[in-house]
Amino acid sequence: MLNRTAENVARATPEPLARKVRGISDKGLAWLFISPTILLLLAINIFPLFWAIYLSFTNYRANRPNEVVKNLGFANYQRILGDQDIWIAMQTTAHFVFWTILLQTLIGFTLAWLIDRKFRGHAFWTTLILVPMMLSPAVVGNFWRFLYEPQIGLFAYAISFVSGIPPTNIQMLSNVSLAPWSIIIVDTWMWTPYVMLICLAGLRSIPEYIYEAAEVDRASNWRQFWSITLPMALPFIMLAVLFRGIENFKMFDMVNLLTGGGPGSTTEVASITLKRQAFESWRTGYSSAFAIILFVAVFGLANIYVKALNKVKQR
Amino acid sequence: MAEVHIKNVTKSFGDHVAVDGLDLHISDGEFVVLLGPTGAGKTTTLRLIAGLERPDSGTIRIGGHDATTLSPAERDTAFVFQQYSLYPHLSVFDNLAFPLRSPARKMPEDQIRRRVEDVARMVRIHHKLANRSTKLSGGEMQRVAIGRALVRKPAIYLMDEPLSSLDAKLRADLRLELKRIQSELGATMLYVTHDQIEAMTMADRIGILADGVLVQIGTPRTIYSEPANLHVAARLGQPAINLLPAGLLPDGGAPAGTKTIGARTEHLSIDKAANGHADGVVDWVEHLGDQNHLHVTVGSRKLVTLTDPDTDLEQGDKVVIRYRSPLYFGADGQRLM
Repeated sequence: MLNRTAENVARATPEPLARKVRGISDKGLAWLFISPTILLLLAINIFPLFWAIYLSFTNYRANRPNEVVKNLGFANYQRILGDQDIWIAMQTTAHFVFWTILLQTLIGFTLAWLIDRKFRGHAFWTTLILVPMMLSPAVVGNFWRFLYEPQIGLFAYAISFVSGIPPTNIQMLSNVSLAPWSIIIVDTWMWTPYVMLICLAGLRSIPEYIYEAAEVDRASNWRQFWSITLPMALPFIMLAVLFRGIENFKMFDMVNLLTGGGPGSTTEVASITLKRQAFESWRTGYSSAFAIILFVAVFGLANIYVKALNKVKQR
Repeated sequence: MAEVHIKNVTKSFGDHVAVDGLDLHISDGEFVVLLGPTGAGKTTTLRLIAGLERPDSGTIRIGGHDATTLSPAERDTAFVFQQYSLYPHLSVFDNLAFPLRSPARKMPEDQIRRRVEDVARMVRIHHKLANRSTKLSGGEMQRVAIGRALVRKPAIYLMDEPLSSLDAKLRADLRLELKRIQSELGATMLYVTHDQIEAMTMADRIGILADGVLVQIGTPRTIYSEPANLHVAARLGQPAINLLPAGLLPDGGAPAGTKTIGARTEHLSIDKAANGHADGVVDWVEHLGDQNHLHVTVGSRKLVTLTDPDTDLEQGDKVVIRYRSPLYFGADGQRLM
């Protein structure tokens, strides 16, 4: 019955089409299968990139689509590189990247090193430590806004409990000198587990017998750490730094939720400036140029870094 | 160098008894090889001496001092692991110098350099001193690992199948070299292997381990010609000893209670049957070049022995087989005198 149906269908299909479908080569079939992905990638990744590059040379404004678009050449780029505010934003970003990476690497590696001792319940602690990483940044941002509340926040309360400073004086988000640190603290709280996880993988990859050999060779724990643990885990630590560096260079969600760049512009990192230029001042061409500069900077730095990483790995 | 005394040492991992009431005495300057199959407790014995494992009971004395509860660093042993346990980010030189740079030693750098270079020459790796240890071949890595043990002058060298991961040619070379180095240094050495050729060629004494028990210990000659039981007899000899039931062949002179007769090549005389009587039939002649393996069927059993390369025996020949003072074993597997 089924066979006969199939036969009928085969007979009913016009000959040239059937041959064409059957005659597709393996390579043709492969292209057929991946073409939706490629089209999607072109539409949402590649095209916008080239469109942004084009816009960066114009005075286009997205809120005035009917205005005549003028080609400005490199004028946008020149203005950005001479703009004092942009440089301050870059400096703020660098400041954030430096401190978050430093703290996350130090704390993350230390935690990994402690967890790696495989004490009782180490699996439980690992899971517990990983919780912040699994939350959504939006949730984390809102949740820390509450913690930082001077009147009702637990953070201010805890600090005042320890230090004796009245909690209303601990204005984490609105004090000019504390606001940057409030963001560094939250980012460190959220992403240290990620660094820990990568470091833990690195530590676990060191074979036990190397430590045993060192022990028989009378190397102290201190020496084992410096001459085995650290050098052998270094590629992993560097990888964690790379991932966190790229991520934090474009840090946006946390800053936007916690301070929105304020007070004043003390926490205005590059991506916040970018957002203000693009969607508050509607200087689309100008902000496109800024985005391209950021992209090239991150890409270039990451490349240099990856070269260094490969050198370390090859040792 | 020093002597090592192991007394009644037992070590279990969970339910598994890895080493069971081991008594072993290694004299100063002696080369002892522990021979046994995987899981016999050889490596555990080494690790117990090095202090990488603590015994459940018994004592370990190194150089006259009780070392049972000492940490590995306090014991003054040198260990060569089965894996190439090199420090991968260090050069060959720094790997060799690593044990000498222990703060406990305070050895001046020029002295370290001299010592490392001497040892590097000894293990024939001096042309690669500046190389990264990861850029070496397997044989070179293992020579560095052995060298790293040799730079020190410990109470005892402990070697855990150091040659097992090397190819046959290199294994033969390093075997000779290790023996030469050991006798040059007058080193006390405990060497673990499952390779009977390594054991026979290098050892002053061989200890046969089975299931955590030291079955027999003695000179290679003794172990080979006077095995204590079937297990020991089966461990040595190539081709493996033929274990035949008593009565299969005429065995005049067998002591009472003989259950099994162990016959190596030298215990058998095999001749072509002349007058109609035959004990067996040649099943197969294996040509190895310098010698032949002769496979003979006797009733339902098979014998393997060596013959001269120019033997005139051929497949299908009927043969007469006689014992020449073979080894007799009782029902419990122990050898009968």
